Amino acid sequence: MLIELNNIKPTYMSDAEISASDIYMQESVLFEKGKKYLIKANSGHGKTSLLNFIYGSNNNFNGTINYNGISNNKVFDFRKSKISYVFQDFKLFPNLTVFENIQLKNTLTNNKTVEEIDIFIEKVLLGHKRNSLVKNLSLGQKQRVAIIRALCQPFEFILLDEPFSHLDRENIKLITHIIVREVNKQNASLIMTSLDEMNVLTFDKVLNL
Amino acid sequence: MLFKLQKRTLVVSQIIGYALTIFGGITIILVTTQFYFDIKPLLSQQTDMFKSKSAVISKNISVFKTIDKEKIYFTNKEIKELENQSFTKSISKFNSATFKINAYSKKTETIPVFYTDLFFESISDTYLDVETDEWKWEPALDFIPIIIPENYLNLYNFGFAESQGLPVLSKNTISQIEFNIQVSGNHKSKVYKSKIVGFSNKVNSILVPSEFLSWANKEFGNLSRNKTSRVLIEFNDPSDKTILEYFNKNNYSINKEKLEFSKLVFFFKSAMFFVFFIALVIIILSISFILLSLNLLIQRNKELLLNLYNIGYNHNRIAKFYQVFISLTTVISIITSLIISNFIRNYYLEKIINLFDFTANKNYILLFGISLILILIITYNILIIKNIKKIVIPRNEK
Repeated sequence: MLIELNNIKPTYMSDAEISASDIYMQESVLFEKGKKYLIKANSGHGKTSLLNFIYGSNNNFNGTINYNGISNNKVFDFRKSKISYVFQDFKLFPNLTVFENIQLKNTLTNNKTVEEIDIFIEKVLLGHKRNSLVKNLSLGQKQRVAIIRALCQPFEFILLDEPFSHLDRENIKLITHIIVREVNKQNASLIMTSLDEMNVLTFDKVLNL
Repeated sequence: MLFKLQKRTLVVSQIIGYALTIFGGITIILVTTQFYFDIKPLLSQQTDMFKSKSAVISKNISVFKTIDKEKIYFTNKEIKELENQSFTKSISKFNSATFKINAYSKKTETIPVFYTDLFFESISDTYLDVETDEWKWEPALDFIPIIIPENYLNLYNFGFAESQGLPVLSKNTISQIEFNIQVSGNHKSKVYKSKIVGFSNKVNSILVPSEFLSWANKEFGNLSRNKTSRVLIEFNDPSDKTILEYFNKNNYSINKEKLEFSKLVFFFKSAMFFVFFIALVIIILSISFILLSLNLLIQRNKELLLNLYNIGYNHNRIAKFYQVFISLTTVISIITSLIISNFIRNYYLEKIINLFDFTANKNYILLFGISLILILIITYNILIIKNIKKIVIPRNEK
């Protein structure tokens, strides 16, 4: 899938706030299949907004977003099979266990078996927390759950909104490795937002927001 | 997983409260409605006399009136006034015979000899509750048909015959007895054959065809004495409250028993309506209550529902749990109330059948209950979907 942004501008931001952006107000910004993009900006510059625009969960923008050349208002349907999203605020269910949170998403597509999910949980070093309620996890642990939940569905694009904000260097390395493997396996694209440069991963393009 | 997640959002006490109130309200509605349908034929049977919507009016007789008899007659002005009342549909005067009448028989095997003075009245045929081919009179015929009140026969059979050791008579036997009527006046006299051709429940008098009476009053009677002491009124609506007020005010006498019964029916219907109304309020409140609870539940769990939508559950899938849950609760409550209502109905039918000659009406409980289930479930499902959609889908979705 190819995602193209045309003249995107959040309705709630002034022209001055987005004057130096590589994305906002640009005639055409392309996100191509199989490529990795980093979107870099300080806080409050609309990184999350941009991912939400692409994901279809926020429509407060001017301009158009085309998916494979079509301005699609049924973006919602992409959530199951085409676009996966690691939310900055995780959007986990605190009263479900780690496994249940992942399985809740997986039941929509049945993309992974229970064993595959368990392997993921083991890989991110949460095996001992498999049956713990998410509300009892640390932020870093929650972040890892959110990431593997996003990896358990078929996708052509994965959106990661500051995915490592609560992780230490070791964990970042580990998780990056798992993400890249899954992205390559599914021949998908990756769009990650971050406050700074990320040197754990090689990006095809870095865009300043 | 979704079930486990959404189950936690429910407040059990609210669901139980809803289930109980909707059960109570619907049971009362079903029972009162069915009871009303069941009892209706019984009421209309009892008010059959009132189907004709008519009553005989006379003036109350007081000590003074026994002295001054003129006061028992209606003046033309009074009749005009009665005619002009809003409750009056039509009015018919009773004509009285103004000549002397005797009835007597010859001795037969079954009937003892009798001789009695009589009086006759007549009224327009349209008000009669007796249908017979024999109800006609022509000057050429020497036969006068007579209608007597049914209670005269009862009075004779159960009072007079019983105490005097006389035989009891059926309507049929009486109708076959021929006797003689002698009318006299104006120095003339004539003997007619006569028979009782019918029994009236409505008119409490001895009636002859009005053609005969007007002819005989001219022939034998004193026309100047022809005054009206009783009138038959046909009402537009016998349960009209102004009727009794008017008659009390003018000191007219009416067969109050009939009006009392219609008052009783009125109170019964009012009571039924009141109970029905209360039950309706209970149902409306319980429906509003559950809709409000659902709304609150959705608002309180807005984040959870939004998260579900964000990870790819569409609004239909999210709403499904609440739809199924509320529908099931409603169905179980209403089916329970259907069973209880039927049980109550069977119980009261058993009692009524013991007391009255009564055939049960059609059972509407099931039909009514199923319709209610359908209406409620459709309403709930539409509203739940609408509310969830409002919460999860971004407002200005293009």
